[in-house]
Amino acid sequence: MAGGLPHPLLIMSELNHALGTHIPNHVWYTWFGMSVLFVLGFIVSRKLSLVPGGVQNLAEIIIGGLEDFVVTNIGERGREVFPFMCTLFVYILILNLMGLVPGFDAPTANVNTNAAMAVCTFLYYNYVGIKLHGAGYIKHFMGPIPALAPLMFIIEVVSHISRPLSLTLRLFGNIRGEEIVLVLLFLLAPVVSTLPMYFLFMLAKVIQAFIFFMLTMIYLKGSLEEAH
Amino acid sequence: MLSFKGNKEVFDLLGNAATMGTHLVAATFVGFGAGWYLDKWLGTKPWLLFIFLFLGIAAGFKNVYDEMQRILKKDQGKGSHYSENKSED
Repeated sequence: MAGGLPHPLLIMSELNHALGTHIPNHVWYTWFGMSVLFVLGFIVSRKLSLVPGGVQNLAEIIIGGLEDFVVTNIGERGREVFPFMCTLFVYILILNLMGLVPGFDAPTANVNTNAAMAVCTFLYYNYVGIKLHGAGYIKHFMGPIPALAPLMFIIEVVSHISRPLSLTLRLFGNIRGEEIVLVLLFLLAPVVSTLPMYFLFMLAKVIQAFIFFMLTMIYLKGSLEEAH
Repeated sequence: MLSFKGNKEVFDLLGNAATMGTHLVAATFVGFGAGWYLDKWLGTKPWLLFIFLFLGIAAGFKNVYDEMQRILKKDQGKGSHYSENKSED
């Protein structure tokens, strides 16, 4: 139901209908994505071997690559906050790619899913900053010049509040737009026109998940380092 | 799945390019919203809206400026990434 357009088939709304429940579609799809991740995590962790193969190999490429990226950017302290970011990335990736499966819809095409994640990020990096710096965390908001501190404080607070908003809207706009384009093209010329778009959107969805991850990393880096 | 080994730079660059615009706009909207609600609350009809709108725009430019500083610093540190991180710890 991207943008009020008729969606060919959404299996979760059929499920809702069959069960007689009124749980919103994106919540069903989020639960489905979570269960996929749980099952994958269970399969990977059940038989760990020193010579990885199959699923373990893939998981090691993704998680190891991301961890290297975080450590080169934040430093060794990044390892403490890495689990949060990695979870976000994998979760968003699964939810995004779900939009490409026929009969499914991307939960990230709904503002609520994204807002929840963005608020989590906002609370988490402030929590990390306060835990590390204590009351000195307020220096992060004061700017370099003491005379301008009251003005800078307001500007910094506005800029900090704008972070979850921009995180939410970017992910929502991109994924929702892609869903609308897919449905529109499917209405115009089924399958033939949507197939090439799949490759483009597969890339775009991975990039969007990565951008969310990277911004979380930048914010955490800002709250972890000393104030200027 | 794209491998992260070779494409890190590309992803990083795409991320930077895609985030600049929303950073600028989101801060403006937050400033506008803050002014709007403060006006409603305190009954100072148009004034706080203007003040906070300009503060929001300033915050947006500050966001873009910070982003620019970050990119600049990363470009300068290119090639000596490893030693730079060593000295940080």
